[in-house]
Amino acid sequence: MRPRGNLSVALAAIGATVVLTAAIHAGRQQEPPPAAGLVVKGKAPVSNEILKVTLPKPQEADLPNGLHLMVLEDHGLPRISFQIVIPGAGGYYDDPGLTGISSYTAQMMREGTKTRTTLQMSRELETMAAGLNVSSSIAGQTASVSGGALTENFDRLFELAADVLLNPAFPEDEWNRLRTRARASLIQQRTQPGFLASEMFSKVVYGSHPAGRNSATPVTLDAIRRDAMIELHRTRFVPDHAVIAFAGDITLEEARKKVEAKLGAWKKAGTAKPGVEEPPALGPAKVYLVARPNSVQTNIVVGTQSMTRSNPDYIPLTVANRVLGGTMGRLFRHLREEKGYTYGVGSGFSATHHTGSWQASTAVRTAVTDPALTDLLKDVEDMCEMPVPDNELMDAKRAIVAGFALSLETPEQVLGYYMQSWVYGLPKDYWETYPARISEVTPAQAQAVAKKYWNPERLHIVAVGDAEKIKDVLAKKGTLEVFDTDGNPVK
Amino acid sequence: MTASVRPFIAVSLAAVLGLAAAPVRKIEFTDTKLKNGLRVIISEDHSAPVFAVSVTYNVGSRDERKGRTGFAHLFEHMMFKGSENVGAGEHPHLIFANGGSMNGTTNKDRTLYYEILPANQLDLALFLEADRMRSLDITAGNLENQRQAVKEERRLRVDNQPYGRTFEVLETLAYENFAYKHSVIGSMEDLDAATVEDVASFFKTYYAPNNAVLAIVGDVDTKTTLASVRKYFETIPSQPAAPPLDMTEPPQKEERRTTIEDSLARLPRLSMAYKIPPASSPEQDALRVLSTVLSGGRSSRFYEAVVRQKELASGGVSAFPDGARGPGLFNIAATAAPGKAIADLEAAIEAEIERVKAEPIEDWEMEKARTAARSSLVSSLGSSLSRAVLLGQYALFDDNPNKINTRADAIAKVTASDVQRVARQYLVKTGRTVVITVPRAPAAKGGQ
Repeated sequence: MRPRGNLSVALAAIGATVVLTAAIHAGRQQEPPPAAGLVVKGKAPVSNEILKVTLPKPQEADLPNGLHLMVLEDHGLPRISFQIVIPGAGGYYDDPGLTGISSYTAQMMREGTKTRTTLQMSRELETMAAGLNVSSSIAGQTASVSGGALTENFDRLFELAADVLLNPAFPEDEWNRLRTRARASLIQQRTQPGFLASEMFSKVVYGSHPAGRNSATPVTLDAIRRDAMIELHRTRFVPDHAVIAFAGDITLEEARKKVEAKLGAWKKAGTAKPGVEEPPALGPAKVYLVARPNSVQTNIVVGTQSMTRSNPDYIPLTVANRVLGGTMGRLFRHLREEKGYTYGVGSGFSATHHTGSWQASTAVRTAVTDPALTDLLKDVEDMCEMPVPDNELMDAKRAIVAGFALSLETPEQVLGYYMQSWVYGLPKDYWETYPARISEVTPAQAQAVAKKYWNPERLHIVAVGDAEKIKDVLAKKGTLEVFDTDGNPVK
Repeated sequence: MTASVRPFIAVSLAAVLGLAAAPVRKIEFTDTKLKNGLRVIISEDHSAPVFAVSVTYNVGSRDERKGRTGFAHLFEHMMFKGSENVGAGEHPHLIFANGGSMNGTTNKDRTLYYEILPANQLDLALFLEADRMRSLDITAGNLENQRQAVKEERRLRVDNQPYGRTFEVLETLAYENFAYKHSVIGSMEDLDAATVEDVASFFKTYYAPNNAVLAIVGDVDTKTTLASVRKYFETIPSQPAAPPLDMTEPPQKEERRTTIEDSLARLPRLSMAYKIPPASSPEQDALRVLSTVLSGGRSSRFYEAVVRQKELASGGVSAFPDGARGPGLFNIAATAAPGKAIADLEAAIEAEIERVKAEPIEDWEMEKARTAARSSLVSSLGSSLSRAVLLGQYALFDDNPNKINTRADAIAKVTASDVQRVARQYLVKTGRTVVITVPRAPAAKGGQ
């Protein structure tokens, strides 16, 4: 791959050239992995040219109020985007009786400031086709303020962003309106089988740990008061440990000036770096059924706890997971392409400061719940019991590395990688060496992490579907607990 | 290395905001017809070492006959199950293994296949597309397997979703001509009825080079690319033209309305569809501006009045022209807020429709609509895939791939009185179909 146009030229001095070692098997015919659901004739012309890409690096600075500044210049388009990530302002830190308050506080920051009504804000943003989003995830550790606009409009956008961040008014009438809308969505989400499955899975994997939170409830929503949101904004939306990143048509100096001009009033609060606790150890594997009347499919989630982001197992598990549940992976080839049980199936994992989760999930017609679950578990077990054949592993690694290379096309994505490094304290050369480290994973290493994380004794099963038809099937897979769609145990 | 496309985008973005009087510079492309009738559009863009390929076949669910609804989409799935020189699943396997992405998608009017790959894999993409256009591997086993996958897709998107059947009911009620009177996904019964012979005959009729447009956009050289295209595609034989399709829809004379029950829903939903002209009509631009005034973002009339002030709808109120090649629909949909009557929701939406017809549209609303439309067009131009898709679609639907260069200007020329005129002409009760979806009691316990 040739270095990309403007960006690679502009940043050649500070970028690193990464040889995509996924091209290591130059000249090798891509052979079929040993699985049904895929037939490889090997006649299509594949280029084995050695690919090189330039991995641009952001410029960084630390500001007096604690804010860390990152800038990834790309003057190819007259556009600038920004993101402020604020550790400590995520729902992870919510009082359990007020679950969701960080999320609603973030939404309310956009509902009016000391000088602008919510409607004025909408008009100003939408007439310049600019985006501005404030959010705080329900179980995550951070809140985020982000947006983007054409270079010509960026100062106006950044002025609005600063207003939202520093001067939100939390108007009582807007909170009443937002709460009414929120109530409706709390009802609506319970009609979605995917939501019910992930809600149950989070509870199973994390128990009462904050990471197990999936949503506010009608009770916590009613308990949230304007004063508590104002206090939360004052004490947790602080710059002490935050990062602000810019990508696009902007330099480090310009960014620094904009931040100093607009966010000068964002003062250091002197708070300690927010920490996290590990979730409690998983109990013995069980089966959880959410009885959803009239379901014609069973949504299945099989999963367990994973690891922290800094754990070295992250790389081999990335490879093993690609083989099992990645695009065109074993689960897809078996459950869809060979058996026709499902439209889609896959697996993935999360990892943060605390241990995250791994899960494989699918939705199958009710009648094949038993064989689909059996096949899925067998594919997971095979990963533990047998090393992945060389060619299949090679293809998985090549796909990860080549996909990583193509993802470097947008500056926002590149910056996203570096923000991950900053948030989790990854080594400085983490992304430069990423392709090489993926390529070096051996069949033995992939099997070792499969055994460690996907041991059948650690795998919990969640199913959402027609209880009358699938209860007996599920009971055969382990100790069964049944719930209704509101999360209440059913006798 | 050249960067010819970057300046173009810079100029056009400035033009969006009226900051520069400079005209939008054209996207350059070549437009070639091969001996076998395949239309080939190539557009160079060297700003990133990537290219996109789209193959747009002139066939959609509108071409399906009675008893075979869902077939065009089922057939699309068969296109990934192998051909003479490509094994079942090998096409996606090779694309993903080389860092690319790909998919297929079927709608009422066309079936689209695409790949995005690093610049050094052009031959791979052309080989794969040509091989399946020439020699699709049609077997009973593959058909049975994909029939099951598609039936699961229907369950996932329609039968297991709240409001999943609503749009199907709406389309069936709104149209008299069978072409649009059924869903793209089709019925379970018809999916079960599809045979290997159907697949073979559909392939021969519709998957001919003279019934397709190939577009290649990105880091490619036009001359060598065209030579490669000829090498891979030109020997694929052309076929007799597909049978002509009668899209005539009798004028609708009175409102059509029905209520359906939904055992998976917890809140009632209002869905309305007004008949509008085909997407190629000059009215389309004003209808699009109308949709932005009514429902574009939180400053829109529907959001401000119906959602925020009156609190009658949960979530938003959507309103958009469907862009159909044939007789189209302007769709409006909203879910009632808990405890609010669907009749009040409908009345509030109607009040805004009447207001847009009767009272002036403000300047900022027109500015917003222009900015939104052009900005979304321009940002779609930032991606080689979007350009490949648009060039192919404009070539097929309008016989005018250059529409990619003129569309933004056309939208900018829409006036407030144009918007009012199309609102008065098309958003009329006699031309609409209304479906109200109510939760069937007793639904899932609690939550009400």
